Amino acid sequence: MRRFFIFIIVFYDLCCFNPHLLWAGPSLEEEMKAMKEQFAAMQAKMSVYEKRIADLEDQLAKRSAQTTPPVAAASNRLIPAKWTPEIGVVADTVLKLTSSKKDVEGNNRLSLRELELVFGSNVDPFSRLDTTISFSDSESPSLEEAYLTRFGLPLNTTARIGKFKPKVGKVLGTHRDSLDTVDEPLVIQRYFGSEGMNKAGVDFTKILDFPLPVTQQVVFGVIQGGNGDGGTAFGTTGKAPTIYGHLKNYKDLSDTMGLEVGTSYMAGSKDENPNFDSQIWAIDATLTKHLNANQDIKLQGEVFNLDRKKTVNADGNLWGAYGLLDFHFKPQWSAGFRYDYVQLVDNPVTNPHEVDYGETGYLTFYQSEFARWRAQYTHTTLATGKNDNTVYLQGTFAIGDHKHKLQ
Amino acid sequence: MKNLLTRIIPVVLMLLGAASYSFAAGKLNIITTQTIFADLVKQIGKDKVNVQAIASPKYNIHFIQPKPSDVRKVVKADLYVNAGLDLEAWSDPLLEAAGKQKLFRNGEGNVDLSQGIRLLNVPDHPISRAEGDIHAFGNPHFQMDPENARIMAHTILEKLKEADPANTSYYEDNAKAFFTKLDRKITEWKNICAQCKGKEVISYHEDIAYFADFLGLRAEQFLEPKPGIPPTPKHMQFLEDYAKAHHITAIATPTYYPQDAAQSLAGKIRGKVITICQGVGEAPGTDDFFSFFDYNLKQMSEGVK
Repeated sequence: MRRFFIFIIVFYDLCCFNPHLLWAGPSLEEEMKAMKEQFAAMQAKMSVYEKRIADLEDQLAKRSAQTTPPVAAASNRLIPAKWTPEIGVVADTVLKLTSSKKDVEGNNRLSLRELELVFGSNVDPFSRLDTTISFSDSESPSLEEAYLTRFGLPLNTTARIGKFKPKVGKVLGTHRDSLDTVDEPLVIQRYFGSEGMNKAGVDFTKILDFPLPVTQQVVFGVIQGGNGDGGTAFGTTGKAPTIYGHLKNYKDLSDTMGLEVGTSYMAGSKDENPNFDSQIWAIDATLTKHLNANQDIKLQGEVFNLDRKKTVNADGNLWGAYGLLDFHFKPQWSAGFRYDYVQLVDNPVTNPHEVDYGETGYLTFYQSEFARWRAQYTHTTLATGKNDNTVYLQGTFAIGDHKHKLQ
Repeated sequence: MKNLLTRIIPVVLMLLGAASYSFAAGKLNIITTQTIFADLVKQIGKDKVNVQAIASPKYNIHFIQPKPSDVRKVVKADLYVNAGLDLEAWSDPLLEAAGKQKLFRNGEGNVDLSQGIRLLNVPDHPISRAEGDIHAFGNPHFQMDPENARIMAHTILEKLKEADPANTSYYEDNAKAFFTKLDRKITEWKNICAQCKGKEVISYHEDIAYFADFLGLRAEQFLEPKPGIPPTPKHMQFLEDYAKAHHITAIATPTYYPQDAAQSLAGKIRGKVITICQGVGEAPGTDDFFSFFDYNLKQMSEGVK
């Protein structure tokens, strides 16, 4: 009985004060089992998270590995899909009305005087190829220029090799579509050819870096001998080469005005013997003044002294020159005047200094950056005693890429 | 042959004897196309750089004619900073005349600031010059959004660090100061022209697109009927009618375009012509990047009142 009462008392105590000893809930085993289940569930979740993290890391790695940014660099934008060179076309149409009775190229007719097809592109990191093929109403297609420019030669020199316009003076190295007038100055036409001259050869250009407040550039070249069409300075044979040099001196006189003065030397031959018996010294000067953002004035002139070995029927010392004033008076308009003087080559002994003179006035309208119209009147007093009056109406148009080289 | 040699040798000797001297020793020589780029370089490079711009801000950037003196500057340059794209068509001939290959496009010394820029007005159709002097890759006047200065400055910073690693921390400190000031000024500028949002202006050329985007302005009509084509009487009549219908009072133009068309239109719509400069130094009081935008913001704010 006593044991029964003790049991009741103990049981009562446990129920009231330590119920957990009697009713402990799940057993240890069950807890362990529950904990194991929870652990397994957490492990499963962790596996999912780990996979997700791995996927995200993989995506991040792929994005970082991209070499092309979302907005491609401009230089990348300009790379053509298939290495297409820069291609441009320049068309030069001329209506020429003249008092001359000669039935020569372009006289008294509208003609496509020249269509230039221009290609250019970098060959590799060191060089660039430029070509100009010329078509015309009155001539067969011709290769006007095709030359490689090699950069980064020793002494910071740049070379050209191929067929090109020699860098002599100002106008001789200029493409027709860049001229201020419809035609070349008389001295260029008479001495070098009606369109100047393009010859095969090689030349080297260097910007000199003396501690002077003047920018200087020197050019030295060797080209095939002879002249352009109708030129007379040198002989007709191409056997004897012509060498030339040019020193350009430029100074900024102010923020708005610059002066360029150049000296040139050419030596060629009158015949196939390379005796350099025909030499030319030349001086060129160009003054440019910007009056404001939309108006500028250019004053330009060149003098050529031609020293040909004197023979019974030859001349000795001759000279020719031109002076040009160009006024860009409105954004789309310019006007100008040119005076020409040239002593002719191989004059008869009886009249050793026969001269052609010319006076030219012109008005240019720039329809846009790529189309230009020009009206020009030229009066030429010829050595033959006759005068020639010519009116030109010129349209020049460009499509595609056509970046002019700096003159 | 003897004659040939006596003629060639003096010239060759002149080439060989060409002396060389450089700008202040130890500084990077940097040439930029535009003055605003030059100022950004100066903000970051400060005393460690000599920087000059080729294009004067007083002339239209599309039609700059580099001079021989510009060629000489490029010959001496370590870096050539430019807008890339097809804005500065004179840039490639200038680089070729200088003949310094590392400055050519894609060269290690060529810094193309259009990299990373979100371009506006990118053509979404085949283009031709029937649309005028259109820019093939998008509007290239991105310097007009001050937010783009972050990207441009970052590009310049990275290039300076690459070219002159010894002064990396100097450049980074200057860049940090620039970005701090830029953040503050952008907030200030947006407040100055808070009333610009939603308004519309007419501009001479499509050169304020990024500026308008920054301010929430609209600039959809231009004095040029097509890019590069001067105003025509018929187009001016259209603009007059349009401006009156849309209550436009401001005609924005940089200093280098002819002002007569803008003044004429402003007179007809009882508006005003405001000068929005395109380059640092274009107008008095625009001597650096921040004063350039101070000036433009003030002009625009007063123009759209």
